[in-house]
Amino acid sequence: MRPERNPAIVWRLEKKIYDEAWEAARNDEEDFDDKGVLTLMLKGGIHQLNLVGAEIWTRVDGQRDDAAIAAEMAELFGWEPEETVEAVRAFLEGIASRGWITLS
Amino acid sequence: MTLTHLASPVTVNWGITARCNFVCSHCFSRLDQAPELSTEDALRVIDILAEHSVMFLNYGTGEPLLRKDLFELTAHATGKGLKVTMNSNGSLIDEAAADRIRDAGFHGVGISIDSADPATHDAFRRMPGSFDKAVRAARLLRERGVPLSISSVICKINHTGFPELVTLALELGAHTIDLHNFKCSGMGGLNKDQLDLSPEEWKAFYERAVPMRETVHDIEIAFDDPILSLLGAEDKAALVAGSVCGKLSLYVKPDGEVTPCGFIPVTIGHILKDDFGQMWESSPVLDHLRHKSATGKCSGCSKFSACLGGCTARALAVYGSYEAPDPHCWVEEGKG
Ligand code: SF4
Ligand code: SF4
Repeated sequence: MRPERNPAIVWRLEKKIYDEAWEAARNDEEDFDDKGVLTLMLKGGIHQLNLVGAEIWTRVDGQRDDAAIAAEMAELFGWEPEETVEAVRAFLEGIASRGWITLS
Repeated sequence: MTLTHLASPVTVNWGITARCNFVCSHCFSRLDQAPELSTEDALRVIDILAEHSVMFLNYGTGEPLLRKDLFELTAHATGKGLKVTMNSNGSLIDEAAADRIRDAGFHGVGISIDSADPATHDAFRRMPGSFDKAVRAARLLRERGVPLSISSVICKINHTGFPELVTLALELGAHTIDLHNFKCSGMGGLNKDQLDLSPEEWKAFYERAVPMRETVHDIEIAFDDPILSLLGAEDKAALVAGSVCGKLSLYVKPDGEVTPCGFIPVTIGHILKDDFGQMWESSPVLDHLRHKSATGKCSGCSKFSACLGGCTARALAVYGSYEAPDPHCWVEEGKG
């Protein structure tokens, strides 16, 4: 499946917090994924994604499909490729159900 | 889990002009006629906001269309990636202006309509014919595909008749109707006794209005009131507790002075003279708003962690204290 962002969403990367989260991830700190590193707004509602969510979100470009995103995520975080595909799919389906992306 | 604030404001409300062709009964800005920034300085303001990744720039205060360089500023802001919106009384939006608004790439325009009854709206806005002009502006914008919201200030004139306003907003093709709560700042302070509701009236209003979000479709009914926590109706995805000013948003006055919001007349610096990032991160005033302590009936109230004592602007205007319980709150001492 090929995810595409809802064009009505306005978002930004929280650069400083993103860098801090990566620093924590590299140091194997358990709470690296607790920080909101990407802020997005839809219909007046405001939400944040953690580092993993943000890395997936920034790869949702209407070009990459779920397998391509998962492959990049596996490499980025050093994860098992098969498990990563499942996790990425579940994440994409979750945000699709919230109307943040469409899946074709 | 809520945050105290984000790394920089999501929204900056900018009074790009203090001038207005109306003198509305509730307006917070009519009594503060600050001089406005030159075009050159205004362009610098936009650069600063863009450098700090501000997402939304909303022109409020005064009538933005009175500024001759409005479209030049907007083109600069949209070119920098800002989503630009404005609030207008609609009176200056004819076909040509609506074309320019569409072409400028506004992310949305809010038109003020406070009653579905033209005479009531005109009396509140103290301008005969203003209802018809606002409705015309809304239609012209929608005909051109400009995203439209209707902005209404809830007070004595409309707290029972708001469903008709929602119907009108739907009919005009608005995606959202913002039902703003009345603030007793500026003209609103002078006319408080005639316009503000009692805590019981606020309760009755919200008890009718909040459920409409579930029953009325095709339009978003938006409130910006932290005391909605009292009805368990606060935004479940809220990133910050209490009101958003100084946590997700800031206000820039026409002369460049920065305040937490338009209704809190406490300056934290000047956008062109002070470091914006430092102001946001280290202002003692913002720190106070982000870390309020419970006083009076808020002490022991189970809603405090979500409500933070409600609207600070109202508390400050009525009791002269950031910390005082919101004067609109209907909780009885010891029962929250
Ligand atoms: S509320 Fe708006 S339209 Fe009315 S006087 Fe104030 S700035 Fe002008
Ligand atoms: S008593 Fe204070 S904390 Fe509780 S709902 Fe009222 S304003 Fe909010």
